[in-house]
Amino acid sequence: MAETAENIQVLVCTGTGGFASGAQGVIDAFEAEFEKQGLEAKIGKRCDIKKTGCRGLCANDVLVDVIMPGQEAVTYDFVTTELVPQIVEEHMLKNEAVEKKVAGKYYNQFLEKQQRIIFSRCGTIDAESLDDFLAHKGFEGIKKAVTMTPEEVIEEVKKSGLRGRGGGGFPTGVKWSFCKATPGDHKYLICNADEGDPGAFMDRSILEGDPYGVIEGMMIAAYAIGCDYGYVYCRAEYPLAIKRLQKAIDTCHEKGFLGDNCMGLGFKFDMRIKAGAGAFVCGEETALMASIEGERGMSRPRPPFPAVRGLWAKPTNINNVETFANVSYIFYNGAEWFNSIGTEGTKGTKIFALTGKVKHTGLVEVPAGTTMKEVIYDVCGGILNNRKFKAVQAGGPSGGCLPAEALDAEVDYDSLIKAGAMMGSGGLVVMDETTCMVDIARFFLNFTRVESCGKCIPCRIGLKIMLEILERITEGKGQEGDIELLEDMAYDIKKSSLCGLGQTAPNPVLSTIRYFRHEYETHIKEQECPSHSCKPLLHFKVIEEKCKKCGICPRVCPVDCITWEKGQVAVIDREVCTECTSCYDACRFMAIE
Amino acid sequence: MVNLTIDGTQVTVSKTATIYEAAKEIGIKIPVLCYAKKLMPYGACRFCLVQVEQMKGRLIPACTTPVSEGMVVTTTSEEIEKVRKTVMEFLLVNHVLDCPVCDKGGECDLQDLAYEFGSTSNRFEGEKFDLPTDEVNPLIERNMNRCVLCGRCVRVCDEVVGYGSYSFINRGFETKIATAYDRGLSCEFCGQCVSLCPVGAILPRPFKFKARPWQIKEVDSVCGYCGNGCTVTLGVKDNKVETIRFNDEIGVNDGNLCIRGRFGYSYVNHEDRLTKPLVRKDGQLVEVEWDEALQVAADGLAKAQQGQGAGILSGARLTNEELFMLKQVAKTLGTENLDNSGGECYKGVTEGLKETLGVAASTGTFPQIEHADVILAIRSDFYETHPVVGMVVNQAIRRNEAQLLVVADKKGKLDKLPREKTLLSQPGLELDVINAMCKVLLDEGLAKTDGVDGVEELQAALADFGLAEVAKRTGVDAAALQTAAKQLAGAGNAAILLAYGLPYQGLSTELATAAANLAMLTGIAGREGSGLYLCGEKANSQGAIDLGILPQGNGLGARAMLAAAAEGKLDALYVVAEDPLSSYPDRDSIAKSLENVPFLVVQDLFLSPTAEQADVVLPAASFAEKDGTFTNAERRIQRVRHGIKSPGEARSDGAILTSLAGKLGSSLAFTGSAAIFAEIGKEVPAYAAFNYNEIGPQGVVWGGETLQPASRKLVAVAGGVAADGDFKLVTGSALYHSGTISTRAKGPTAVLSEAYLELCREDAADLKVADGDLVKVSGNGTELKLKAKVGNRLPKGVVFTPYHFAEAQVNRLYKGEAVIPVKLSK
Repeated sequence: MAETAENIQVLVCTGTGGFASGAQGVIDAFEAEFEKQGLEAKIGKRCDIKKTGCRGLCANDVLVDVIMPGQEAVTYDFVTTELVPQIVEEHMLKNEAVEKKVAGKYYNQFLEKQQRIIFSRCGTIDAESLDDFLAHKGFEGIKKAVTMTPEEVIEEVKKSGLRGRGGGGFPTGVKWSFCKATPGDHKYLICNADEGDPGAFMDRSILEGDPYGVIEGMMIAAYAIGCDYGYVYCRAEYPLAIKRLQKAIDTCHEKGFLGDNCMGLGFKFDMRIKAGAGAFVCGEETALMASIEGERGMSRPRPPFPAVRGLWAKPTNINNVETFANVSYIFYNGAEWFNSIGTEGTKGTKIFALTGKVKHTGLVEVPAGTTMKEVIYDVCGGILNNRKFKAVQAGGPSGGCLPAEALDAEVDYDSLIKAGAMMGSGGLVVMDETTCMVDIARFFLNFTRVESCGKCIPCRIGLKIMLEILERITEGKGQEGDIELLEDMAYDIKKSSLCGLGQTAPNPVLSTIRYFRHEYETHIKEQECPSHSCKPLLHFKVIEEKCKKCGICPRVCPVDCITWEKGQVAVIDREVCTECTSCYDACRFMAIE
Repeated sequence: MVNLTIDGTQVTVSKTATIYEAAKEIGIKIPVLCYAKKLMPYGACRFCLVQVEQMKGRLIPACTTPVSEGMVVTTTSEEIEKVRKTVMEFLLVNHVLDCPVCDKGGECDLQDLAYEFGSTSNRFEGEKFDLPTDEVNPLIERNMNRCVLCGRCVRVCDEVVGYGSYSFINRGFETKIATAYDRGLSCEFCGQCVSLCPVGAILPRPFKFKARPWQIKEVDSVCGYCGNGCTVTLGVKDNKVETIRFNDEIGVNDGNLCIRGRFGYSYVNHEDRLTKPLVRKDGQLVEVEWDEALQVAADGLAKAQQGQGAGILSGARLTNEELFMLKQVAKTLGTENLDNSGGECYKGVTEGLKETLGVAASTGTFPQIEHADVILAIRSDFYETHPVVGMVVNQAIRRNEAQLLVVADKKGKLDKLPREKTLLSQPGLELDVINAMCKVLLDEGLAKTDGVDGVEELQAALADFGLAEVAKRTGVDAAALQTAAKQLAGAGNAAILLAYGLPYQGLSTELATAAANLAMLTGIAGREGSGLYLCGEKANSQGAIDLGILPQGNGLGARAMLAAAAEGKLDALYVVAEDPLSSYPDRDSIAKSLENVPFLVVQDLFLSPTAEQADVVLPAASFAEKDGTFTNAERRIQRVRHGIKSPGEARSDGAILTSLAGKLGSSLAFTGSAAIFAEIGKEVPAYAAFNYNEIGPQGVVWGGETLQPASRKLVAVAGGVAADGDFKLVTGSALYHSGTISTRAKGPTAVLSEAYLELCREDAADLKVADGDLVKVSGNGTELKLKAKVGNRLPKGVVFTPYHFAEAQVNRLYKGEAVIPVKLSK
């Protein structure tokens, strides 16, 4: 974020996270304060407030950068409207940063190990400003691309080693060449922005923070493949992303960047947004196409692949938001530059969305090959409340849970698959020792079961039965042989399901069984939940040896069923207890089981 | 062609084949549940998973995966069988398994597969489905507790029928197949979903608890209703047709059926069927023995022939062989007054086409329509008269992106299909639109005129059919008309459809002539893959034309005979398989004809209003009770087979005619249908190429898939005349009925039991008429009261009424004109 400027610049994070934390109020407060203080007149400089995209550390929003002329940016976190007058007063007028409110060391640590390429414009430029985009290399990529033949463009993408960021990791250049090779005078380009994995939001962030960058990536692809129309299939739950992207598309139209002769570069490309209707399965490409066509979002068999017979039966190329964003940068900096980042099999950077029991949740862009440990501990500051790390769920509901032993795994496509998870869209849900792995498997399976389109039998019925077995295990009603039955049916479901949803839905179950089989066994054989997470198996008893007699549990108990006196071990009255787990969550010493 | 290996056996198949189809070709059966031959690949049930060496690591659905060169396929292995069994276990967890009381039991795909896999136990448990059944309509019962969500009903209704009754709703395990708003089924009741449901989830209600499948005797025959000629399989038990089944493996029209074919069979079992001959004695029709009845009939006819003459009028539900015998009767009797009952309305074919193209039949076959790039339907009623061809049109649009153009005075089912373009014209003026299209092609140099006579004459005659004038006259958009003409001329394969029938008598010859002109100018006539389809209304209309059941020599045609009878100039009428009083235009004059003719013989299934006037009534057999051949509207000759014996003493028309010919003194004697068919070949050269016993399930098409015109002569026809009056009444077919006979069948009448007057919302509002109100319709010197049916199908000022219902006496209003000016009042 180190940038100097002639004017005073105030960069306010206005991603969905920023807005949710009150960014609009902060912006209004700054404007009001500027006026009240007559700031511009007083210091003889203009003060610009930029509404930028997200910069990753969403947990600490609202993030505000103040850039005084000729100086490095100073970042404040947790900015509230109340804080604004102080910042203006001290930082802008007196040029003394409000040290107490400046984001701590963790913020630099958070950024240090990252390599923010795709995010380089998110958080620094005004997301809605075409001029700002153009001032930051905007549309240089497409200008460079049209100096090459479409074949050369595809070759360049192949050379870069870019693999699809939507999860499958298919080489992007190769995918483009398939669609290019299919004869047809009318081809479609689709940007998959139906980001549905729980806890993944990097695509939203890119669309909110750098919408023009995605349009540029699509233009390059359209030029290379010969597509004349594009759709961005964006989930309707992303109103801000849709608003900004629509504004960007409209602006591009007005200025002739999109249309019959894009930027005067001699090719035709037009695009529109199609808002999804809230079905997870529509992230699957064939279901997505069905949805655009106005049909129910149900997967279709492949072959024929979209490159041969896709949207409206025409050859179609589908890539994810992050992939298109990558394409722009490949053409800014060249395939060789891109190829130099990352590992053997995975080039470039990958954005991860960290959620769960980690200190700094948010979006992290690291070069492929960074280890999971580095991401969780170095970038995101480790586990919340300094509890013990237990597992990380990588790849969303289709991915797997990796245990501590797998923390040294590098984050690239192949290593993660080897470890039993997958890159997926890049969601990382971090779990600590209070998380029950059976319950986590149940959670993800419940998600996929509900989101199954219902077309093929194994996914529709198999997942439901799997879920029921998991439910009975978490209720202490597990039976001998349940684990083997789960493994066996998981295998059959994976083998027989129609689309990626069903083929990967059992992964969380399989990976938790693989690494945490003992937890399943304890549930079934001893009717105990080792993590004290499955409510029906909780005893709600204070362990005398562990109790530090701190008195926090009676204070959090909503039904006052815990008796405690200073210096005494707390006692829970099971008759009154509603098993809400407030005391368990509150206890710092794991003294309640 | 592609070579591949399946289970060690080499096979060479078309490159469009799937692994499943390739395996089937060499007798390897891969289990399937959601697959259906006539539907697009779907891949939901996962039973057909196989291993392909080139796609290691995953199992490949055989029914959706196209073959590729060198593929090595394994259809069974331990892994495959395990997965299939698990999927079956999943399916059976919540399925109700009420097989003992399920009508599908014994022919249920789920049952068969479970049996095949030996699924004796289930590792999983779950609650049985407990969803309410849909029994709102009288024809189709839906029990979603038995549903396996193969989606075949959803797909057939969309892909083939083009109606779209069903959809999946909800997600995940809660997914189910539902109708709009999950209400009871309300559709056109073609029963295609019934035919395709692999389990007992969608069943024909009339068949409920009637028979176990194995108790049913199946007889493949041809539907007795319209000129589509669909293969129907009679399901017979105890000499009763209990159900109609379909045959998509070998049947004509892919086993597709409409409501008439699927549910309209019950008239053959009707208790009102005539079972004994009747002769009028002392003013009363009394039952007599066959010999007496035949003698009275023969004597009466012979006597009349000695006088002012006798006339014979035949319906088109007789087989070719029976029609041949009818002609023999006419010959023996010595009368030239012979016509088929549709004689007047088929003049488009027998005169219009004959004069222009030198043939009297459609030039293409129905399967070709599916591959047409552009389809022009003249009059929207094609779907209503020939529903299954309408389904082919739908498939052409959905599968092959065909462009459908409709030139019509009202909207119909065809107008609901994707991308269709309706050129809505004033009633009676479709002709002008076709003429204008011809003129566009001639003026713009797009017409194909090589070897076509009369170009200049036509050009001169069409001077008044400029785009602007026609647009003004007909209300059709000039630009749309021009585009349509160009699209038709520019298409690789194209089809022009025009249906014929008793309610479409006005401008019959002119429309056909104009259509033939257009077919010549666009190159459609005689071109491989393209066709001009003039389709008769009845099952054997084309046969009647082929066999020349037309006025002989200077004989009288249908209308002329009736007119002569009315004037007392004809001494006898022999009406076979037709009820002119109910179905012919101008009922009052027909009544007069029947009253004034001294001797009337009627041969029919029921004591129809016409038969009630007869002196002799001969009880005949239905299509389900006889053998022979029908020739459908695409010239396809098919075998009709009897499934049951006729009720009482009723006899087949063939048997009756043979006896009558004998009584009249003929010495002709034939030993069955095959012999007569051979005899037909001697008189109708096109039929000579075929041997009766070698006609297979697909029938035989005379004249080849593409019939070459014998001549190409453009004939100018004048335009229609716009009707004046407040409202313009048109009559025609309703989707659920065919002719008048279907009004005796429970299925069609359950959906539509009486005539109605259809009008648009705007007119209804002006007249303050609500749906179901009685409306007075007056015109042509008559007044009728009809129930209003308010919809959005008709343009303002146009009203429609179906012609099928005898009681409504719509044919007192309708006197054969293209459009009738009427007044409406509440």
